[in-house]
Amino acid sequence: MSAAEAISSAGTGGRALPPPGLPRLIPAGAPLSLNDHVARYGPVPFRDGGSRGARDLIAEVERAGLTGRGGAGFPTGRKMRTVAEHGRRGGPLRGQVGTVVVANGAESEPASAKDRLLLTRAPHLVLDGIALAAEAVGATRSYLSVHDGQDELALQLAAMVSERDRYDQNRVPVQVVAVRRGYVASQETALISQLNGGAPKPTFVPPRPFKKGAHGRPTLVQNVETLAHLALIARFGAGWFRALGAGAGAAAGSALVTLGGAVSRPGVYEIALGMPIGDLIRRSGGPSEPPQAILAGGYFGGWLPYGQALGIPISDAALRAAGASLGPGVLILLPESACGLAETAWIAGYLAGQSAGQCGPCVNGLPALADMMARLAFGRPDGRALGWAQQLMTLVTRRGACHLPDGTAAFAGSALRIFEDELRRHAAAGPCDRVRRRPVLPAPGHSWGPR
Amino acid sequence: MTALTAALQAGRVPPAAIVVTSSTPLWYLTRATGLVALVLLTLSMAFGLLSSVRYQRPAWPRFVTAGLHRNTTLLAVAFTVLHVITTAADSFVSIPVQDAVIPFISSYRPLWLGLGAVAFDLMLALAITSLLRTRMSYRSWRLVHWTSYLCWPVAVLHGLGTGSDASVRWVLGLTVACVALIAALIAWRLAYGWPENAGARLAAALALILALIAGGAWLAAGPLQPGWARRAGTPVHLTTGSGTPRPAITADGAP
Amino acid sequence: MCAELLPELITADPWGYPIVTPGPVPGSLLPLARRAVAACPTLALLLSDEE
Repeated sequence: MSAAEAISSAGTGGRALPPPGLPRLIPAGAPLSLNDHVARYGPVPFRDGGSRGARDLIAEVERAGLTGRGGAGFPTGRKMRTVAEHGRRGGPLRGQVGTVVVANGAESEPASAKDRLLLTRAPHLVLDGIALAAEAVGATRSYLSVHDGQDELALQLAAMVSERDRYDQNRVPVQVVAVRRGYVASQETALISQLNGGAPKPTFVPPRPFKKGAHGRPTLVQNVETLAHLALIARFGAGWFRALGAGAGAAAGSALVTLGGAVSRPGVYEIALGMPIGDLIRRSGGPSEPPQAILAGGYFGGWLPYGQALGIPISDAALRAAGASLGPGVLILLPESACGLAETAWIAGYLAGQSAGQCGPCVNGLPALADMMARLAFGRPDGRALGWAQQLMTLVTRRGACHLPDGTAAFAGSALRIFEDELRRHAAAGPCDRVRRRPVLPAPGHSWGPR
Repeated sequence: MTALTAALQAGRVPPAAIVVTSSTPLWYLTRATGLVALVLLTLSMAFGLLSSVRYQRPAWPRFVTAGLHRNTTLLAVAFTVLHVITTAADSFVSIPVQDAVIPFISSYRPLWLGLGAVAFDLMLALAITSLLRTRMSYRSWRLVHWTSYLCWPVAVLHGLGTGSDASVRWVLGLTVACVALIAALIAWRLAYGWPENAGARLAAALALILALIAGGAWLAAGPLQPGWARRAGTPVHLTTGSGTPRPAITADGAP
Repeated sequence: MCAELLPELITADPWGYPIVTPGPVPGSLLPLARRAVAACPTLALLLSDEE
């Protein structure tokens, strides 16, 4: 069936079947051409597309309990509703103003690979999501961000956008844009700053993006995975979405998780939220080396001792209760052969270097914190260094325009808690041999070496 | 030509005995307000420099420096405005108000008066941008504030070049004291560590020393030498035959 | 400098940046708060009306 035929048959009530279980986002045979995509899922269920499109998408998304998959985990329905409202009453003389949708595919978490995978293996789902979100919030234009240097991907996506235009599957213009690489460069306000022609640095709130973002309009920024889920919810409903996942709140539905470190089969897995960490590790073939600990949530997350981690359900609420977080769905297994303190010090240095340089506490505090962590890992930790490190963590938390200082402090803090025994060993006998090992945690552009 | 001038030219009245004209009170006011404005501007610059080295003592918190800087600047602007008004109102020399804001168009000592206009324009820009600081970008405000390093020396040169009192000992002394104060504070700021680049600091220090030497040399060869009024561009009809300007004397004619 | 003007709500961290006590500004301190915001050399403080 050609795309044109599939789209015209949708008006006659032909309904695509919802995926019964996993996988939902990346089906077999991916990537699908537009033809196959429409054949499998049906065309984009716009509101004027017949009875199927008549639902209030925002209400459906709220019922589904979809939360942002970019790391912050904010309820998507609520975000959409706020942007739509500001669009309705935001213009001069309090009239209508066109809003903007930004799909964030510029994945800056070094250990995360899910967005890249989604854009290469299920781009049409993401583009469906953009189109549906745009209709729901009254957008007049949209952007899809990828990284500088991903030229081939950008061209492919742009070609797909043109193809969809021919079959009226976009409705609003979709512009594929390349943004600078950098940990904070794809933060929500930094992204918008770049779209407005400014620096890739977070801006000081207020006004917040949902009120005044790209080109001064209310802007909805969503991770590409969130939009892909949205595209499926629009077709198959909130009930279907919640059929997977551990139930209430942020544990609804499925999510892409990047599993890395010392596992047999590292990669991106789609899981039902609430699945215990141990089950995922088993599914990936188990650890490749004797395991020590797990970093959950990426570099703004936290460490978990291996044994304790196995039973923890993969959801933001459960992970936060255990002292970590879900973040953009990153789990990294640290083997016994590595030193948790050294890895943390190395990443703290990387994060300090990623500072946008705008806020005094971050510019001054993060390098000082990284220095202290390095002293604790590679030198002889004493009470004073430890005390100063903890004081620095308090000093930088929530004192920047973005969450880089808070995230780094939380990450370092969890290391000092979980690797307390290691700290004691280092204090007694100096740094262990394992600090000299090649790092497990990735940090692009950052040079390795004990100080 | 007034009868007085005619008598002067005929050599019947010694230059030193020239009686005050009806515009002398304004003439005094112009010089007085000019001098006070210069002192206030110097103080403002001084407090600004003190701010930049983050000067602080238990009995002198930083907001005191900030407040004094603000107040002396506003006073300096006020006195400069008075200085402009008295100059324009003085009918002895035709210096309309626009000469005070558009540099170098005056017929009276165009260069030196023009420098006064430059300094005045800069003072207005500095004051206005600072009052509107919270409504403009920090970068723009900072850029404009840098021109204070131009404004103050230009004001000093204006005073020495236009003023007729440069040769008067206490006026000269006061001016030199102002210059010494600012030079010392600039040296302190350079020593404090700004600009960060050591090469730039050295260049700035050298520039300061050269400026002081050049200024001193110019002063000795220019305003302090007789005949300066004519060389500075005072219209001929305002000078006596000997080329000196209206002398700075009191009403009874004593020098 | 802001810590000097409004010590009730602001302390300075080791690098001279303000640490602000969270929570709304009491009405009696509002004029001082406005002055502290205007006085900050790098405009690092913001007084906002949060509903």
